[in-house]
Amino acid sequence: MPEAAIITEEVRAVDATATGDTLLVAPGRLPDALGWELKPQGLCRADACFPVRERDVLFVGDKVDLGAVAVALGRPAVIDPAARIAAFALDGEGRRSALESLQAPAFELDDLDGRRHNLEEWRGKKKLLVAFSSW
Amino acid sequence: MHDELADAGFTVLGVALDDSSDAVRPWVDNISFPVLLDPNHLVTELFAISNVPTVIWIDEDDRIVRPNGVAFGTDMFKDFTGAEAEPHLNAVRRWVRDGELPLTADDARGRVGDLSPNEILARLHFRVAAQARHQGDEGVARRHFETAVELAPHDWTIRRAAMPLMGDDPFGQKFFDMYTEWQQAGSPYHGLGPSEAL
Repeated sequence: MPEAAIITEEVRAVDATATGDTLLVAPGRLPDALGWELKPQGLCRADACFPVRERDVLFVGDKVDLGAVAVALGRPAVIDPAARIAAFALDGEGRRSALESLQAPAFELDDLDGRRHNLEEWRGKKKLLVAFSSW
Repeated sequence: MHDELADAGFTVLGVALDDSSDAVRPWVDNISFPVLLDPNHLVTELFAISNVPTVIWIDEDDRIVRPNGVAFGTDMFKDFTGAEAEPHLNAVRRWVRDGELPLTADDARGRVGDLSPNEILARLHFRVAAQARHQGDEGVARRHFETAVELAPHDWTIRRAAMPLMGDDPFGQKFFDMYTEWQQAGSPYHGLGPSEAL
């Protein structure tokens, strides 16, 4: 099965089948694709589970439909099956609660030399986050 | 600013909304603060950022004490934007040295409007386009960049960021077209204006 690029907090290459309007992955590959795992109690990640009322809706044959998973999680998604690329929104509830509570959301990004960093590394310092660009 | 205040427990943390380190390096030559690369614009979704430069003050406990604001490091763009660098830099100095905050937590709350569903979708199309471009699929990239721009025509992190990735000059006519449309739309921005809360 050829790979598709799945974009969430990071970009992962995952074996996937393209149909007319979505991408399908084996249930066991769902954690690799989206970071969520299908368990009896629903779609789970770390200590959080999202109940899934109609499990059949997630499946096409024996494969999981990434578009249906996005709907079940309440996350907007853009899936281009022909291009074998899909992007899934980050946690909208998390953003809204950050805008309200003013607790900065954690994030991880690489520096210019490819080393991974987490915002928490600078805990204990006052930080001026500057989003900028060359354009 | 970073070097001046580094021994007072302060750091600038740059996040470059660019697709490669090579695009950023000429801009950060000789700087001593960390710069992170955000080709998929994750921070614009996490913090509801719609333009650059946007600054966010984050305290020792990772609390946002001054949310998204327009600010410049120098007066290079002052004539164009009307934003002076110095009032913001002075406010940062007072915060770092004296703990003085330009607005209360209650004032800071809710000063940044949430992203609309279309602004979220625009970010997703932008990421799909960037990935397609990396895979050498220029046609797919263009289609998704164009959809992203249709969904968020006044978002600089979408429309202007897409210009160089589509082979357009981000300082050329397309920039001025966008600027005019943005002004006609009331200069929408997610956060504080250049002279607010200083």
